[in-house]
Amino acid sequence: MTDAADRVRELSEAGLRALSAARTESDLLEVKGRYFGKKGEISEILKTIASLAVEEKKRIGAAANEARGALESAFDARLAEIREKERQAREGRERIDVTLPGRGQAIGHRHPVSQTMADIVSIFQRLGFSVRGGPEIEKDYYNFEALNIPKDHPARDMQDTFYVGWPGGDLVLRTHTSPIQIRTMEAVRPPVRVIAPGAVYRCDSDVTHSPMFHQVEGFAVDRNATMADLKGLLTEFCRMMFGPDLPLRFRPSYFPFTEPSAEVDIRCVICRGGGCRVCKESGWLEILGSGMIDPSVFGFVGYDAEEHTGFAFGMGVERIAMLRHGINDIRLFFENDIRFLSQF
Amino acid sequence: MKILYSWLKEFVDTGLSAAQVQDALTMAGVEVSSCRFLGEGLDNVVVARILAQSRHPNADKLSVCRVTDGAAEFGIVCGAKNMKAGDVVALARIGAKLPNGVEIRKAKIRGEVSEGMLCSEMELRLSEESAGIIVLPPDTPVGKPLAEALGLSDWMLEVEITPNRGDCLSVLGVARELAAVTGEKVRLPSVEVRESGPAVADAASVTVTDPGLCPRYSARVLTGATIAPSPAWMQRRLALCGIRPINNIVDITNYLLLELGQPMHAFDLDRLEGGKIDVRRSGVGRKFTTLDGSERDILPEMLLIWDGKNPVAVAGVMGGQNTEVLDTTRRVLFESAHFSPASIRWTSRRLGLSSESSYRFERGVDPGGTMYAADRAVSLLSGFSPIEVARGTIDVGGGKDFLRTVRFRPGRAGRIIGREYPEKECREVFSRLEFPVKEEEKGTWSVTVLPHRFDIEREIDLVEEVARLTGFDKIPTTYPESGAPDFSPDDRFAKLLEDSSEYLRAQGLTQAINFSFVSEKEWSRHAALLAFDPADAIRLENPISDDTTMMRPHLLMGLLHNVASNVRRFVEDVRLFEVGKAFGKSLAEGHFEEPRLGFVLHGRRLPQNWSGGQAQVDFYDAKSIAESLLYFLGAAPFHFVPCSRRPFLESGKAAEILKDGEIVGWVGAVRRELEQALDIPGTVYFGEIRIAAATAAGRRAAQHRAAPKFPPVFRDFACVLPSHVPVGDVLAMVSGLSAEIESASVFDIYMGEKIGEGKKSAAFRVKIQPQDRTLTDNEVNSIHTKIVNLLENRFGGKIRTS
Repeated sequence: MTDAADRVRELSEAGLRALSAARTESDLLEVKGRYFGKKGEISEILKTIASLAVEEKKRIGAAANEARGALESAFDARLAEIREKERQAREGRERIDVTLPGRGQAIGHRHPVSQTMADIVSIFQRLGFSVRGGPEIEKDYYNFEALNIPKDHPARDMQDTFYVGWPGGDLVLRTHTSPIQIRTMEAVRPPVRVIAPGAVYRCDSDVTHSPMFHQVEGFAVDRNATMADLKGLLTEFCRMMFGPDLPLRFRPSYFPFTEPSAEVDIRCVICRGGGCRVCKESGWLEILGSGMIDPSVFGFVGYDAEEHTGFAFGMGVERIAMLRHGINDIRLFFENDIRFLSQF
Repeated sequence: MKILYSWLKEFVDTGLSAAQVQDALTMAGVEVSSCRFLGEGLDNVVVARILAQSRHPNADKLSVCRVTDGAAEFGIVCGAKNMKAGDVVALARIGAKLPNGVEIRKAKIRGEVSEGMLCSEMELRLSEESAGIIVLPPDTPVGKPLAEALGLSDWMLEVEITPNRGDCLSVLGVARELAAVTGEKVRLPSVEVRESGPAVADAASVTVTDPGLCPRYSARVLTGATIAPSPAWMQRRLALCGIRPINNIVDITNYLLLELGQPMHAFDLDRLEGGKIDVRRSGVGRKFTTLDGSERDILPEMLLIWDGKNPVAVAGVMGGQNTEVLDTTRRVLFESAHFSPASIRWTSRRLGLSSESSYRFERGVDPGGTMYAADRAVSLLSGFSPIEVARGTIDVGGGKDFLRTVRFRPGRAGRIIGREYPEKECREVFSRLEFPVKEEEKGTWSVTVLPHRFDIEREIDLVEEVARLTGFDKIPTTYPESGAPDFSPDDRFAKLLEDSSEYLRAQGLTQAINFSFVSEKEWSRHAALLAFDPADAIRLENPISDDTTMMRPHLLMGLLHNVASNVRRFVEDVRLFEVGKAFGKSLAEGHFEEPRLGFVLHGRRLPQNWSGGQAQVDFYDAKSIAESLLYFLGAAPFHFVPCSRRPFLESGKAAEILKDGEIVGWVGAVRRELEQALDIPGTVYFGEIRIAAATAAGRRAAQHRAAPKFPPVFRDFACVLPSHVPVGDVLAMVSGLSAEIESASVFDIYMGEKIGEGKKSAAFRVKIQPQDRTLTDNEVNSIHTKIVNLLENRFGGKIRTS
C-alpha cells in the first residue's frame, strides 16, 4: 500500500496540473470539487486515516493541509486569470464608437440681445436693484412731458418718435425706457432702486440704428444719492461687463431729465485706445448716458428735491451686444437667421 | 458744427494745440467728435501756373495743359473747363495722396501722358461742392505748397452741440466755453463804424408790434453799397464751414452767423415798402414765397417781418424772395434780432423748414449781442467794400441788460455731487464764466447769469457748471448707502421670462426677436386666416416703412416669416421661440399690450442623427413643449381642449390651454393656407402662451406628503373606443374614479383595419396606490370593475381580452 502522504502529494500535483489546464470558471470549479473540495479526493484520504497512530495522522494531516493550501492559491490565481481574460473578451466584443454624436435634442441659442440684456440686469440685481417694466405704447406725458421734455423742445429732435394713431390719445411708442422712472416714482416713495429693461422705438434705420431696439434704464432715489455714488456704481458695472482693467471716463453731457448729466465712455474694446473705425479714431466708446435726476422731474412725481436726490442711467443693449460680439450691422439682430443666432 | 481752429484762436488764445482743445472741450461737455488737419493729403500739391492749354487730340471733353511748378514742367490732362493759359492753379504732383483717397500716378489718358492732376476744392476737401478746378489769385507764388499758400496749416473741429447749449453754436460761443475751461479771457474783435450817410431815421424805421415774440430788434442801414464777391479769405472760411459764398452782403451775414451765432438778414432797403419794418404775427393764413423759391403756407400765429405793406420774411426762419439782396442792390438793412425760441421752433416745425437761423433762434440767441453783431457786420464789411453807413442805429427793445440772478448754495453742490466744493473753487468757476457773485447770507449766493446762457435758470444749472468746469474726473467714486430695496412684482415676472427662455433653449429652441410692428397690408390680405379685424388695429401715424404700419395682434406672423426665411436659407430644422408683446384694442383701457411667449417647430423632431429618428415634428411635440413649460413655470393645473375658433390653426389639430376657466394659450398646426402663402413646405406647429395670465396665480409651495409605505398595484386595460372619444377625458375620469387611483396613463394607441372603421384601440395603465394598508384582491377587483364599467358604459368602449 502506498503511503497516504505520497498519495496526497500525487493528488496535489495532479490537481495543480488540472487547474492550469482549466479554461473556464466552471472547469475550475469542477477541478476543485474533484481534488480539494469537501468531497474531493484529498478529503476522502483523510477519512481513511482515522485509525492510524497519532504521529502518523499528524504527518499525513500536515501533508494534506500543505497540498490544499497550494491548490487553493493556485485556484485563486487561475480564477483571477480566467476572469480577466473573460473581461477583456467581453469588452472587446461590446466596444462601441464613443466618438459618435450623442443622441437627443441639440441645445438651442439665446438671442444675443436678450442675453446681453439679461447679463446687464443681473449685474444690477446683484447691486440691489429690482426690475420694473412699463408699457411700450406710452403716453406722451410719461415719455416726454414728465421727463422735462415739453412739446416743441429742441430735445425732441434727439428722438424720432413713432406716434400711435389714436383719437385724442396722445400715444407714442416709447422712445426710451425712461418713462418707467416716472411710473415707478408715481407709485412708490423713496428709497427706490430700479433697473428697467425693454424694447424701445425710434423712427430711424441704418447699420447702427433700428426702428426697434432695446434699452436698460436704471435709477435710484434716496436721501443721499450722489453723483459720486453714480460714478462708483457705473464704474463697477463697466468692470463687470467689460473686464476689470478697462479704463473709463465720465464726460459732461446733456439729457433733459438729468442734471448734471454724464456720458460714460469706455476704452475702445477694439483698438484699446489706438484709434479705429469703431471708435471713430477717438479711442473711446460711448456706452452709457447718466446723470442726477433733474429736480423738475421730481416736481412731476411729487418728490421733494430738497429732501431727496437721485441718479439715473440708460444704455442701448444692441450697441453693447455689437461691441461684445463684434457685430457690425444692427439689422442682423432682427433677421432671425438661425445661422446667425446659433453663433451665440 | 464745424469750427476752424485758427478762427477760434482769434477769440481765445489758450496756447493749446488743436488736439488739446479737442480734449479740453470734450471733457467739459462740448464734444469735439473729430479734429482734422486741413493740410492733410496736400503734401505733394503745389501752386502752379498753366503755360499753355490745348485740346486733347482724342477726346472732346478733355484738354492738355503744360504747367510749371517753378522748377519743372508737366503735361497734364484735365477735364475741367474753367481755366486758361496763365491761370494759377493747384497741381497735385505724382505721388500725392489726396484727402479723398485718390493717389496720383503717371497715367496715359486716351493716349496722352498726364503727369499729375489739377485739383478742385472738393477733391481737396476744401469745400463741399465745386464747379471746376481751383483758380488762385494771379499773384499767388508759384511753387509754394498749396497748404501754405492757402493758410491750411489749420484744423477743423467737428463739434457736437447738445440742445441746451445754443450759445455754443458759434466760434464765439465755443471760445467762451474754452475760456471757461482754461481760465483764459475771450477777446471780442473791436468794431469801428464810420457813419458817413444820412441819419438812419430818414432811411428806415422799425416797429415791433409783437414784442413778446421779438424782445429785441437791432439794425444797421447801408445807404450805399456795391455788390461784389467777398475777399478770398472770407470765401474760404465759409466754404470750409459748408456755406456757399454768394456776395459781400450775404457772405457777411453768414460769416457773422458762424462767428457770433447771431443770425442776420440783409434786406434790399429799396424794395422795403416805405423803408419800413414791422414785426408782427401773420394774423391770417396766407401764402408766402421764401427766398429758396418755395411757396409756404403761413398760419395766423406765425411771426412775420413786414414792410409798409407786405410780409418780407418769416421771422427768424427765412427771408422772402421779394426783398432779397440782388446784384443791383444799393441800400441794405441788416437785421440782427432776438426772437422767442418757442415761437421760432413752433413756426419752423409747422412749416417743415429748418434753417441755420431757425436752428440757432430755437436754441436761444444772445439778446445782449444783437447790436454788437450789426456793428461788427458794417465794420467788417467796410474793411473790404466801399460802403456808406447811415448815422445812428436802430435798436428796438435795447437798453435792457437781459441779466438774471440765480440762487446758489455751495453746500448744495456738495450734497448732489458727493464731493465738497469749497467756496473758493465755486467762485473761481463763476469768475471764469464771468458771472458776478453776491453773497446774500452765509452759504447762500446770488449769481448773475449772462444773457447768452439760456440753459441756466435754476440752482441745479449752476451746480452743473461747478461740477463740469472743475472736472468730472475730480468726483470721487463711492457706493450708494443701502436703502430699503424696492421689491416689485415685475422682478418675479422678469425671472419667469428669463427662466422660460433658458428652459426653451435647453429644449433646443433658439430665441428670435421680431419687430413689434407688422405690415397691416399683409395682415389684411390674410385677415380671415389671422383672425384680424382692421377695426382692432393699432396703427402708427408715421411708420418707417410699409412693413411696419401697425402693432402686432399676436406673435405668429413674425415667427412664421422666420421659418420661411430660414427654410429658404437651407436651414433644415427650425425651432424658434420669441418673448414679446402683443397689442390690441380693449374695451376697458382702449388698448392693451400683453407679454406673450410664442414658439414654432418645423422639420425633424430631433436633429439629423445616425440613430434613426428622422420623424417630423407633430402636434404632440408642440404640446409637450407647452405643457412642460407651463409645469416649469408652476402654472399647473391646466388642461388642453380642442379648439376650432383660431383660424390660423388647423381646426382638427389645435387646442386651447385653459387654466381656472381662462384661456392662457393655444397650440396647433398652422393653417395650410398660411404656410402656402409664405412658401413653407410641410407643416409648422405653433404655440403661444399668455404668460402673465398663465402665471397670475403665482406658484404655491408644494405641500409634503409621506411617500407610500405599501406596494402599488398596476392594472392594464386594452379597450376599443369610438375614435371620436377624447383620450384625455378618459384619463381624467379614470383618475377621478377612486381615491386609491394615483394615476392613469395611456401607453398605446392603434387605429387601423384590425380594429375597424371609426374605432381606435387604446391601452391604459392604472396605478392603484393605497395610502394606509395593503389592498385585498377584492378591493383591487372592485376598482378594476369600476374602470371597466366606465370605459364601456360612459365611453362606449369594449374591453379587449387577448
